[in-house]
Amino acid sequence: MNKHFRITLMMLLLLISSLGLFANPTSDGEAVMWNVYNRDSGNAMSSTLTMTLTSAKGAQRVRSIAQYRLDSDGIERKMMFFLTPNDVKNTSFLSISYEDGRGDDQFIYLPALKRVKRIAKDNTNEAFMGSDFTYDDMGTRHPQLDTHTLLGKETLAGTPVVVVQSESKTPSEYPKTISWIVDGQWYGLKKEFYAKDGTLAKTLVIDEVNLIDGIYVIGDMTMTNHQKRTSTRIQMESVDFAVDLDERFFSERQMQIGPRR
Amino acid sequence: MKFFNSLSKRPFLLIVALLLLALLFVTSMAKTATLETNLNEYMPKTHPAFVFSTEAEELFGIGDSILIVLEDPAGIYNASTITKLDQMTQSLLTDFPDIDDVTSLVVADNITSMDGMLEVEPFYTGATDEQALAKLKEQVEANPMMRGRIVSGDGTATLLIVEPSPQANTKELQKQLQQWLETWQGPQTLRIAGRPVIEGSLAELGPKDMAIMFPLVVVTMIILLYVLLRSVRDMVLNMIIVLFGTLTAFGTMTLFNIPIYAVDTMIPVMLIAIGVAYGIHMHNAIHHHMLSDPSITKEELARKALVQMVRPIIMTALTTAIGFVSLMSSEVLPVRYFGLFSAVGVMTEMLLALLLFPATIYLLGKPTYRSKIAANETPPLAQKLHTFTSNHPTAIVIVAFAVLAIGIWGTSRVWIDTSFLANFEEDSAIVQTDLFVNEKFGGSSTLNIILKSDEADRFKDPLLLSRIDELQGALQNDPVVGNTLSLATFIKQMNQAMEEYAPGTYAIPDSSDLISQYLLLYEFSGDPKTLEQVIDYEYSTANITVQLKSDSSAQLKSVLEIVQTFGADFAESGVTVGFAGSGYKAYVFSELLLKGQIISLLLSFIIIFLLLTLLFKNWRVGLAGTVPIAITAVVNFAVMGILNIPLSSATALISSIAVGIGVDYAIHFIEHYTNERLKAKSQTEATLETMGNTGRAILFNAVAVMGGFVILLFSVFPPNRQVGALIVVNMAVSALGTLTILVVLIHALEARGRFLPKQSAQHNKLGVHA
Repeated sequence: MNKHFRITLMMLLLLISSLGLFANPTSDGEAVMWNVYNRDSGNAMSSTLTMTLTSAKGAQRVRSIAQYRLDSDGIERKMMFFLTPNDVKNTSFLSISYEDGRGDDQFIYLPALKRVKRIAKDNTNEAFMGSDFTYDDMGTRHPQLDTHTLLGKETLAGTPVVVVQSESKTPSEYPKTISWIVDGQWYGLKKEFYAKDGTLAKTLVIDEVNLIDGIYVIGDMTMTNHQKRTSTRIQMESVDFAVDLDERFFSERQMQIGPRR
Repeated sequence: MKFFNSLSKRPFLLIVALLLLALLFVTSMAKTATLETNLNEYMPKTHPAFVFSTEAEELFGIGDSILIVLEDPAGIYNASTITKLDQMTQSLLTDFPDIDDVTSLVVADNITSMDGMLEVEPFYTGATDEQALAKLKEQVEANPMMRGRIVSGDGTATLLIVEPSPQANTKELQKQLQQWLETWQGPQTLRIAGRPVIEGSLAELGPKDMAIMFPLVVVTMIILLYVLLRSVRDMVLNMIIVLFGTLTAFGTMTLFNIPIYAVDTMIPVMLIAIGVAYGIHMHNAIHHHMLSDPSITKEELARKALVQMVRPIIMTALTTAIGFVSLMSSEVLPVRYFGLFSAVGVMTEMLLALLLFPATIYLLGKPTYRSKIAANETPPLAQKLHTFTSNHPTAIVIVAFAVLAIGIWGTSRVWIDTSFLANFEEDSAIVQTDLFVNEKFGGSSTLNIILKSDEADRFKDPLLLSRIDELQGALQNDPVVGNTLSLATFIKQMNQAMEEYAPGTYAIPDSSDLISQYLLLYEFSGDPKTLEQVIDYEYSTANITVQLKSDSSAQLKSVLEIVQTFGADFAESGVTVGFAGSGYKAYVFSELLLKGQIISLLLSFIIIFLLLTLLFKNWRVGLAGTVPIAITAVVNFAVMGILNIPLSSATALISSIAVGIGVDYAIHFIEHYTNERLKAKSQTEATLETMGNTGRAILFNAVAVMGGFVILLFSVFPPNRQVGALIVVNMAVSALGTLTILVVLIHALEARGRFLPKQSAQHNKLGVHA
């Protein structure tokens, strides 16, 4: 084999592979998003969230929340207790979501009312606790809901990332999003949300990621809403994947007892 | 004097100059004239009340909404009506980029709680089967945020509340909505209402009607002037003077890039009423000189007429202009501009009267008048008037006092009102729709009460919220208040829902923690936007929205008074009370207008007294001269009070015409009379001569203007009718007052030897400095 032939073969291979890309251009994007979706996030976790909401005029509301999560048998259970401010302390929120597509079960407990209420509402596209995050943003959106296209690879803040565009298959408040995903580790560093008219509506920026027990955990992220000129920063501390939790913890009774000390 | 004489000897130069000026003004008007219809532009933006209101409007997103009423007399809870409502809402949200938001039954959320289940879901789920509609009806009727607010109490009508975006062209949007509405008509009835609609129609109707009526006024005056002056030439000159004066006022305005406000439609009215006098007095002087010396040369005639009239015409124009300039003390910008440019117009008219009459004599020779009164013969009317005034001085004084007394009583009844709706006929669609909205819903006008504290989270305090609730209760007892909404309303509603509708739970809970937790829950529920309309981010500023069934500022005042009684209570809680919203701004505006009007009226009285005193070197004459003006002003307000004409921006300005015209009459009369007396004529001779000469001009002036403006009484636009009525009254009272009470006062001063200046030389010195 002479040199000439080897180059031709390489060119041919390159051509075939690029043809393959053309034939199924989204396959790589899909793969990336499935990797993101399937990334290990631990089965049980406890943490403390600090949520800082900033209004368009720059006023702030700061809340800290104790959060517990348990994934088992295709069911994700989440319990949240407000720690501060004082007047809402021990207000708790329980959500149980099912991977099989059943609607979420949500409960709220107001300590001053001393009553647990079940919330009958499909919240998926609603603001998460009055913040700039939606419930969708807080979890990971199922990859099948969108069509994913790999836009390219670049470096973001010195980290190699893949850029994926996701377009919703069903009508959505943000029909198009673009995610910057760390190649190989499959957590996002940045995400842009585009409104129906094509303008940039929201930007999510991840400022801190910690590797805890072999799991990448976002330590600090900020969602900026460009339309409302508001922003929400969520910081996560005291992350514990070794927490001992079982299904019984996620109960109405526990909601009334309060967080673990 | 020299200036007028030499310039009028060059009539061609004058004509060219005037034509050039006219061309300049017309092109400038054609290029830059813009009609300002945004009423906010009228408000003094730096006034603390407006600054406060504007801030609050931004904070809470307070704006004037367009209301679309969907009426189905059989009840709205049927598939066809609800589906139409849904389709209309969607169309409004998607088809109009100028619409920020739409509130209607189909997009509202309902928070309910039954059997431990908290439901936050839309009232309308998309289902229109019988069961769903029955549930919808039940839920709406149980919810005080919906019933009477979005859906009428009897369930036959519902509202779509359209919020235009701040940068929207509301006039254009309104037109589009009107057309759009027609495509949805039937079988349900659709109507459009709300402040933007009223303001829009008003801003368009007033000038439009004036544009129709004004030519009729001019034509009538042309006919009257011809009949009175018996000369085409003098009639034409008079019309040129007033029309060129008006052109100059608007032309200079556009040259300075000042927009034309609705108030400025009064400028031509004023300039015609006032300007006609200058020409008539010139005509009168020329006429008399020709009668007393038929062989007079044209040069001599022009010179003599000028000598006689230059002083009184300049003086009358100056006093009138000063009256207008005194409007510059107003805090209302358009009123200031109105005053300034009316003064410009008046001065132009004065110059033209003094230039054009002599110039036409130089150019065309002596005028001819169709019928002539024999020289030195006093007209019979003047004779009669004189006999009457000298025979019944006491009666005249008594009548004058009676008129004053009635006038003051009537004035006390003048109500200040900036009700926009009052400008429309009672059977007009706009008024009818407004009545319908006020009958079926909370009301078409809004007042925002802004409560402010320096402390964050202050409004989570149950005591403070209970006070707000009490205030709302007190307000709702007033029949003009239809509905109120505040943070307290939200908390009560939430408490009732969370307590599962147990009796007595539609109340503010005692625990501030519970209130905080309700608010947190409300934030979570995904509808924090509605909350943002009643409370700021830090819970330190609250907004109480009060819906009123009338846009009358007088009614608003009574509501404000109720709020004031709670001021001490709120102060105790460390909370200050303020107000916001366009209704409130209109109210402050009308108060400013009244204050400004009173100040400018008092100011012009003082100035006129000083001027007359200075002019005639006699403070007693100064005082006598202000009497007819005072009577005119009082009668002007009395007529307003008795005929229920509210003091508005337009009517308020007419009182300045009373002063402007009144003082002119007085100056002309006193000047002429003094001159006759200085020619050593007896009191009777001088009075007869003045009556026949100046008196004639005054009557001609009054008749011509009154005749012209009577036409306005046939306008379809009520405010223009009011303008017509007031002008007619003012002209009549001014003329009558001058020819009766002023004469009596002059005679009374004569009897005490207090009328004529002590040294007649002084007068001459004063006389010729023009």
